[in-house]
Amino acid sequence: MTAIASGYMSSFFDVFEEAGTAVGEESDSIRKQCLVSFMHSIIPFSSANIIPEVKFLNLKTEWEEDTGMLSSDSEIALHPAYQQIIGMGQGAIPLILNEMKKKRGQWFWALKSITGEDPVPLEIRGNIKKMTGVWIKWGEEKGYL
Amino acid sequence: MGEQDIKREFPNLESNFNITSPVDPDYNCIAWAANNNDLWWWPDIQGTKYWPLGIEREETIDAFIKAYEKIGYTVCANGDLESGYDKIAIFVSVRNKPLHAARQLNNGHWTSKLGEWEDIEHFNVQGVEGKHYGRVAVFMKRIKE
Repeated sequence: MTAIASGYMSSFFDVFEEAGTAVGEESDSIRKQCLVSFMHSIIPFSSANIIPEVKFLNLKTEWEEDTGMLSSDSEIALHPAYQQIIGMGQGAIPLILNEMKKKRGQWFWALKSITGEDPVPLEIRGNIKKMTGVWIKWGEEKGYL
Repeated sequence: MGEQDIKREFPNLESNFNITSPVDPDYNCIAWAANNNDLWWWPDIQGTKYWPLGIEREETIDAFIKAYEKIGYTVCANGDLESGYDKIAIFVSVRNKPLHAARQLNNGHWTSKLGEWEDIEHFNVQGVEGKHYGRVAVFMKRIKE
């Protein structure tokens, strides 16, 4: 049941996320509200923390809304929702890597904290595109993707 | 993101700004102030981002001043438009922790990259002051290349 709901949710989220902002600015907040309402309609609020995909999506949405306009890595990474994602441990790794495949983002701190590794060579530090590529390759080699 | 999101998060801008780029997760305001749009600059303690070699990786105003000195800037008195000079402004929190940087344009307006969000042209430097970026602490200038 959990796996079915989880798979269904993932597909639903992908459709919503791919819809992007092409239909206007106000639609973005309506889209998010719709997403949350839909989520609570099929998954009881009390179960939202049990399904990792749902928990991750909730936390990621909150974190992105609060920190998308920030540059400070410490402000971004010390956000409570981001810290909770780190607290999900190894289970968060494939979710993070799949998210990075879709739109990169500031996930390096979390990956380094969870795995204790950093496969990114010094010379490409700060190049988000290349760093993302290195982590995705790392995830494939380690069997996370 | 879009105009409404920016107005909500940076109310001091009122309507005195224009969006000048798409959302881009690949560079931040610190890089953008240095005329760079393919790196994320930050002296994060995890060492995941770009920071000029030889400058301490610490979130202090001194470290940020030294980083910009490395590309020719020196501290100056104000953000007034001066013929023949580029100027930047460094913003800090109430605890003097750097949070943002903006660069002056030839017309005296300022340009800011808003985290992963868009670049904007804002008509005065104080427009982005507030809860996210604190206040301007230091102005720096260098001879135009």
